[in-house]
Amino acid sequence: MTSRRLRTLALMAVGACLLAIWTVPILLAVITSLKDEKEVLAYPPTLWFTPTLKAFDAVLFGPTNILGDLATSLIVAIATTVLTIVIAVPAAYAFARLKLPGRKPLGFYVLATQLVPPIGLIIPYFLILNRIGWMDSYRGLVLIYMTFSLPFAIWLLVSYFEDIPREMEEAALIDRASRWQALWHVVLPQARGAIAVTVIFVFLNAWNEFLFAVVLGGANVRPVTVSMYNYINTEQTQWAQLAAAALMAMLPVIVLGLAAQKHIVNGLTAGAVKGVGRR
Amino acid sequence: MSPQQRLTLVEKPERRFALTLVAPGVLVLAVTTTFPLVFLLWQSLQNINLAMPGMERFVGADNYVRMWGDARFWAAFAFTIIYSGVTVSLQLVIGLGMALVILQIPRAQWAFRMAAILPIVLAPVVAGLFWRSLMLTPDFGIVDFASRSLGLGSHNWLGDPTLARVSVIAIHTWQWTPFVFLYMLAALAALPADLYEAARIDRASAWRRFVHITLPLIRPAIVVVVILRITVALSAFAAIYAATGGGPGTVTEIINLYAYRVSFVELSLGYGAAAAVVLLVLTMLVAGLLFRIRR
Repeated sequence: MTSRRLRTLALMAVGACLLAIWTVPILLAVITSLKDEKEVLAYPPTLWFTPTLKAFDAVLFGPTNILGDLATSLIVAIATTVLTIVIAVPAAYAFARLKLPGRKPLGFYVLATQLVPPIGLIIPYFLILNRIGWMDSYRGLVLIYMTFSLPFAIWLLVSYFEDIPREMEEAALIDRASRWQALWHVVLPQARGAIAVTVIFVFLNAWNEFLFAVVLGGANVRPVTVSMYNYINTEQTQWAQLAAAALMAMLPVIVLGLAAQKHIVNGLTAGAVKGVGRR
Repeated sequence: MSPQQRLTLVEKPERRFALTLVAPGVLVLAVTTTFPLVFLLWQSLQNINLAMPGMERFVGADNYVRMWGDARFWAAFAFTIIYSGVTVSLQLVIGLGMALVILQIPRAQWAFRMAAILPIVLAPVVAGLFWRSLMLTPDFGIVDFASRSLGLGSHNWLGDPTLARVSVIAIHTWQWTPFVFLYMLAALAALPADLYEAARIDRASAWRRFVHITLPLIRPAIVVVVILRITVALSAFAAIYAATGGGPGTVTEIINLYAYRVSFVELSLGYGAAAAVVLLVLTMLVAGLLFRIRR
């Protein structure tokens, strides 16, 4: 064996360890969710056992099932995503492309709002929403979700809009298309990919949010991240059910994450490539 | 028509159009973020305790003075610095190291990208729950099982003060190292290959090539990723909340959790608001400092 091949093998071994570390908690959850509650508590942990779907049956169709909370998460995440996109796309376009008066301070403002720690918002929101009667409501939750989704979406879209070539847009304007027409018919079709990436991120973040949901939600509006937590809060934790519920709750984002892996990496690293090589 | 006039004729509608497009976004942010923050500042100057409704009153800087003498606040402050400093350093070193290793592997890079996505898309509260139950529970958690199998004995990973701190740092590092890995992978892949060729001809060692060529080139990407990771670490919440709830006692409280517990467990919203203001100022200072380095 050449030293080169040996080196590749060693690298593969290191890589395999990393893969294991990243996936172990999730694989463990899959295994645990297929066990009987008694089997879970066996020591040493068993790897060979008769799989059962009892835990999934309980969390999906049992008396304390999570289906309602899944629906709540879906409504909140979709509403947040739609509102965010409708507001962020035009704003990002103006930031990236047009002669926007006060562009620097406005851009700085959007960036600064993205840095605000959620705890700084949840305390005033708690009092304000109580006062106006929006606690435990979809309105209240979507409103506060806009605080993290909107600056993020604008910032992400700006970096994409800057890369779209200007020629077609300029040609349309010379052909006497109005600004709105140029934006709608020429720019937006070219930005479809960017908007798709932004939709994925906003949806993921809204779906996974916990702090706002646990404080501002309640019996009516309880996203699934909060119902997760309730599984461990009980006197005797039902481990298999906790694992099954968590997997069901995370199924949409895991599927979305794996299916749109390329786009997500693209969005995450939007800033990584641009600065590289410049000293 | 002078060129000056023609310019304003073209530019004026464009400026108005641009403002129209930006206005809804800025207005929504002003209402949903800036206004509540002003309210937060005002709250931090009040004595508000939900357990004693109707007793709200203006107390000036009292909450801040009280915080100055609060040992629990300073412990949370110190752990915030340790938590974000250690988790971000670990993420950077491991993530960059991994990216360098994986780039050498000719095949199956997609598998690593796929695996890296998993922790990132997981809700932090679920990551905290998985670690608390499946990984760290004495006896049947896999980490405890491994520790026992290696003869290191069973430990109360989330109940012992030192181990609990190590554990919450490990959980955060586990979840977000893949982000840095993917970020660095993209930055490294964008580097021009000819630079390396020249260095190889000069017989520079791999380590020297890394320090003198790679590192300076990816410095902007490193600074950006550090800014992103620090701001997230400073306001980490759900994973710690799910794993330890800030305990045992208060040892895994970062300012964020401290402010939450003071506000929503002890119901002192005024005092909690003051703690949140401190975290806000700290975040802005750190981000401002890093942005300056970037230039």
